[in-house]
Amino acid sequence: MNSSLRKTLLMAKRDYIESVRTKAFLIGLVVAPLLFGGGGIGIAILKKKPDLRDKRIAVLDRTALVAPGLVAAAEAKNARDAYEKITHKQIAARYVLEPAALASGEPDAQRLVLSDRVRKGELFGFIEIFPEALHPGNAANSEAAEKDPKPRVAYYTNAGGIDETRSWLRAPLNRAVTGVLLREFHVDASHAEDLLTPVSIDPLSLLVRDAETGRVEPAKKKDEIAEMATPFALVMLLTMIVMIGTAPMLSAVTEDKNQRIFEMLMGVASPMELMAARVLAALARSLTSSAFYIVSAVMVLQGMAMIGALPLPLLPWFFVYLIADVTMLSAFAAALGAACSSPQDAQNLAVLLVMPIVVPLLIMMPVMTSPNGAMATIMSLIPPFTPVLMLLRQAMPVGIPAWQPWVGLVGIVLWTAGGTWVAARVFRVGILMQGQPPKLAEIIRWAWAG
Amino acid sequence: MPAVELTGVTKTFGEVVAVNDLSLTVPEGSVFGFIGPNGSGKTTTIRMIVNIFYPDRGSVRVLGSEINPSLTRWIGYLPEERGLYRKMKVRALLEFFGELRGGHNVSREVGEWLERLDLAHCADRRIDTLSKGMSQRVQFIAAVVPEPKLLILDEPFTGLDPVSADSLREAILGLRRKGTTVILSTHDMTVAETMCDHICMIFRGRKVLDGTLESIQGEYGTDTIRVSLSGGPALLEGLPGVEKVRDLGQVQELRMSAGSDPQLVLRALVERTRVTSFAVSKPSLHDIFVRIAGPGAETLAEEVASE
Repeated sequence: MNSSLRKTLLMAKRDYIESVRTKAFLIGLVVAPLLFGGGGIGIAILKKKPDLRDKRIAVLDRTALVAPGLVAAAEAKNARDAYEKITHKQIAARYVLEPAALASGEPDAQRLVLSDRVRKGELFGFIEIFPEALHPGNAANSEAAEKDPKPRVAYYTNAGGIDETRSWLRAPLNRAVTGVLLREFHVDASHAEDLLTPVSIDPLSLLVRDAETGRVEPAKKKDEIAEMATPFALVMLLTMIVMIGTAPMLSAVTEDKNQRIFEMLMGVASPMELMAARVLAALARSLTSSAFYIVSAVMVLQGMAMIGALPLPLLPWFFVYLIADVTMLSAFAAALGAACSSPQDAQNLAVLLVMPIVVPLLIMMPVMTSPNGAMATIMSLIPPFTPVLMLLRQAMPVGIPAWQPWVGLVGIVLWTAGGTWVAARVFRVGILMQGQPPKLAEIIRWAWAG
Repeated sequence: MPAVELTGVTKTFGEVVAVNDLSLTVPEGSVFGFIGPNGSGKTTTIRMIVNIFYPDRGSVRVLGSEINPSLTRWIGYLPEERGLYRKMKVRALLEFFGELRGGHNVSREVGEWLERLDLAHCADRRIDTLSKGMSQRVQFIAAVVPEPKLLILDEPFTGLDPVSADSLREAILGLRRKGTTVILSTHDMTVAETMCDHICMIFRGRKVLDGTLESIQGEYGTDTIRVSLSGGPALLEGLPGVEKVRDLGQVQELRMSAGSDPQLVLRALVERTRVTSFAVSKPSLHDIFVRIAGPGAETLAEEVASE
């Protein structure tokens, strides 16, 4: 075996064994999924513990026509959703809509009284329905109205930004308003239901012909949440494993530098061999974690008879992206670690390291919403973000053009090779530097001049 | 064939010239003392010999070839800044370093060296549980397993008690007897005087001394008197032809000006007090070192630079 390769593998083996034998690695292996999945689990648990207090809403109906329909809708919803069908145990908050008589005098005086009741907790909020809710008239489209729009329905509450009640109110309110208008237009009441029932769109899978029987298989109803779950889980798994593999690198290199180990090693091995060994150890650590998680996932899915949910065609891409991301980030971490003189410096520079991990996570939702949009496509072709974003897009049911992962891969390979080369130059100079941590300009000079 | 040959080597870091046009030859099989004050360029020179730094100019030949990665297999290196994997066990660490350099299993040699340096009982202990002296001996073993052709030791005796220092000294001389060339960088002039066949001093990146102890001392002549007397150093003031007095405690060292007569000094001393010993000798390496690098070194450095 080539001497350089032999040294690199020997050092990588030592680094790998020393790191996977630590409690930190073993604990991280178990704790990381809890941290990453903890949010989802927490939400699921909290959703099972809903707030069962009545949502009491006063209705100031200045039309004197809409409120009854709204009250009836609330009662229907309570009957339908607030109680468990068999045990009759309450499972959701009830909406209690109480029509309020219109007071004489200044409207704001009554609004203030109702607001105080909301503040005291007697009411969840109050809704004011103006005559314009029924007849906005031409004035609603005028220039003056555009500049200073008059509310047709106002909803007053001190609930937070995302208010379920407001969301729910929209449909029954529109239905009640439309009901009133239909009566005004003398539409036969028996037709009202046909006119008011909204049309829903059921998402279905595409039809396929069974290759064996030749029969056309009927479309299946799609579970949109389940379809989002696979890409989300894959990306989270990739991110988690990349972090487990690369996160210790920065502090480990700084620690070894502080303990003056590198000079001893550099008497035998070149900086490039030292860094390659570190990167290989990080890769081995990541592959160990991924093997652990994938085997666990297979066992769990098999136990749940859901092995089909495993996106097998994406696994090769998963490993390609994993290897590229870990190589790129661990080389980067090794260079930054070599440039640091203390663990505190390393902590300060860690923010640079997590950027390629955090940015894709921040734009995950828009990418999932529109996986073939311009933003998703461009961002996923930027090499530091390619592993996470391209995998996410590939995992979406709509799919992406076949050429894009390959172009992304070329980008990653070039970026990783270039990044590792630059990192090696910084590593080589930084590793024997002591004292004041270098400024960014100095690190750039090392990268340039070597 | 010299073990190491540097020809016109220069190394700069930004604006700082760490090593300036340095040429030196380390004879094969010798113990070569490498001395110089802190920051004079010794470590940079050593790092170029072990292929950690590359010279900006000049050539570095080691064991007959231009320095290259394949030669590191034959070079044992104990850096001044000691560092070991603190969580590894002694034997595992030494086998790792030995295999890394030598490319083969070295457990037998590691066992022998642990016995030889009285560390066998620590073989299964973690590095971070060892005393400083023990760690230093472990690091020395890491430098000599497998047996190198060229051994570079940067301050190997620092922090060692006399017993450990003796065992290390014996080990170094034993390796020399078996043919290993040893480059010994030290600030301890006694070590350099007693152990080294050849001494080179580097100052501000330039070579200022190079030769055997005898030849170096010969350059300075017999201009030193070592004297001990009753009454202490105060009695040494105003002696004829004495340029400088260095009080060593029980003994005082006098440096004579050129052409002055030691007999006149002895006569003056006898008239002042009782002289218990009086010896005319060559200057010690320590004295030579101080003459070069001590106060007033600026002038000498300028002279060296202008040569």
